[in-house]
Amino acid sequence: MLRIAAFVGLLATSLLAQTPAAGTLAGKVTDPAGAVVANATVTATNIDSGQTRTATSGADGSYQVPGLPPGSYRVKIEAAGFKPLEIASATIGSAQTVVDGKLEPGTSIPSLGDLGFTPDQTQGSAQDQARLDKRSHMLKTHQRLGLITTAPLVATLFLANGAAGHNSTSSSRDLHAILGGVTAGMYLTTASFAIFAPKIAGTPTRGPIRVHKALAWIHGPGMILTPILGSLALAQKDKGEKVHGIASAHGAVAGVTAAAYGAAMLSVMIKF
Amino acid sequence: MKRTILAAFLALASLGAADGQWVLASSTLSYHVSHPLHQSEGVSHQAKGKGVCQAGQCNFLIAVPVKSFASGDTNRDLHMVQVTRGAQFPLVSVRVSLPEAALTMPAIHCDVEIEFAGQTAKYKDVALQAATKGNETRITGTIPATLSDFKIDPPSLLSIPVKNEMPVRLDMTWRPQ
Repeated sequence: MLRIAAFVGLLATSLLAQTPAAGTLAGKVTDPAGAVVANATVTATNIDSGQTRTATSGADGSYQVPGLPPGSYRVKIEAAGFKPLEIASATIGSAQTVVDGKLEPGTSIPSLGDLGFTPDQTQGSAQDQARLDKRSHMLKTHQRLGLITTAPLVATLFLANGAAGHNSTSSSRDLHAILGGVTAGMYLTTASFAIFAPKIAGTPTRGPIRVHKALAWIHGPGMILTPILGSLALAQKDKGEKVHGIASAHGAVAGVTAAAYGAAMLSVMIKF
Repeated sequence: MKRTILAAFLALASLGAADGQWVLASSTLSYHVSHPLHQSEGVSHQAKGKGVCQAGQCNFLIAVPVKSFASGDTNRDLHMVQVTRGAQFPLVSVRVSLPEAALTMPAIHCDVEIEFAGQTAKYKDVALQAATKGNETRITGTIPATLSDFKIDPPSLLSIPVKNEMPVRLDMTWRPQ
């Protein structure tokens, strides 16, 4: 028991030791004569994540931005009646980093802070960006796989005649069935990249993508139904029977599925 | 002596009248991208802005949330936000600096600075048009921006990338505060 407690203690200590401590950006804002500048807005932007933090200089011109994760920051200091001052890169460690700003007088230049955006609108989120990146990556894969799937799909359709007629051979039926299986497998993989791509809340679906998504309700069930009906038809043919019952819908369902799939691809290629 | 004081006072008053702030009455900011299969234009009317004229020099600033651009296809708009790192850098701002006298001329040349996707690009001597109607001044024009100006990797459709050129159309109407 003691050993477990000691292990947990060591693990916690090691985890804590790996978490970098937050640093503080601090300094004093002055004019060229050395007089303090109060109410200056200091914006620290993390160069990697884009996250911003702001502070305002006090009556003595000093400011403090605490709780900054270590990294490189762009620091912008703005005050009415002065030119904005931008420090391209300041490295924040775990201790306090001092960045003083000497502002040059200038014409009043409007700044983003004057425009009345809410903090939600101005502050970046690395997490949201990562979500968008993942979504985009998955949809790109969806698009590429979708294009590749067209090849076995067309080949399966091309071989359909040889597999269906009175004079069809067992090998032509098998080839058609194998290609159909490859198409269905690739199709399901393609679809999974779109289905599991992260959703972005509050985004309505507008434009050609609506048509693209609507067509999935036709080719999706079609891609499941076609191989099922195909295997029924194949079993009947192998017994030397004429394709009958529900299996006789295989060709029609496959045709509608392929047409819907083609239309879905065209819907994102052609602007309308 | 009284006349001199009066003249100095009038001169100061006149200078004071020339200086001032402008508020944004309306605006449209749009970008255009070209692809062999598509031409698309994203438009935003959600700009906020402020203009300041002082000592004969004017600075106009407008900023727009990146996610407010609409091209008619929400999938493409989301993709645009992703490639331009719009979640990390949520605003695009355009700063126009020009002499105050230029506001009365129909054709103006000025410096424009665009902050977008965490990068700042400066464009010198951009040709814009100005038109004054009543107390409102409308400034329009196209800034010859490119994707590489902002280190944006060209997005692609069906593995074909869009062109690097991304002209930004500016249409802003200002009135004195």
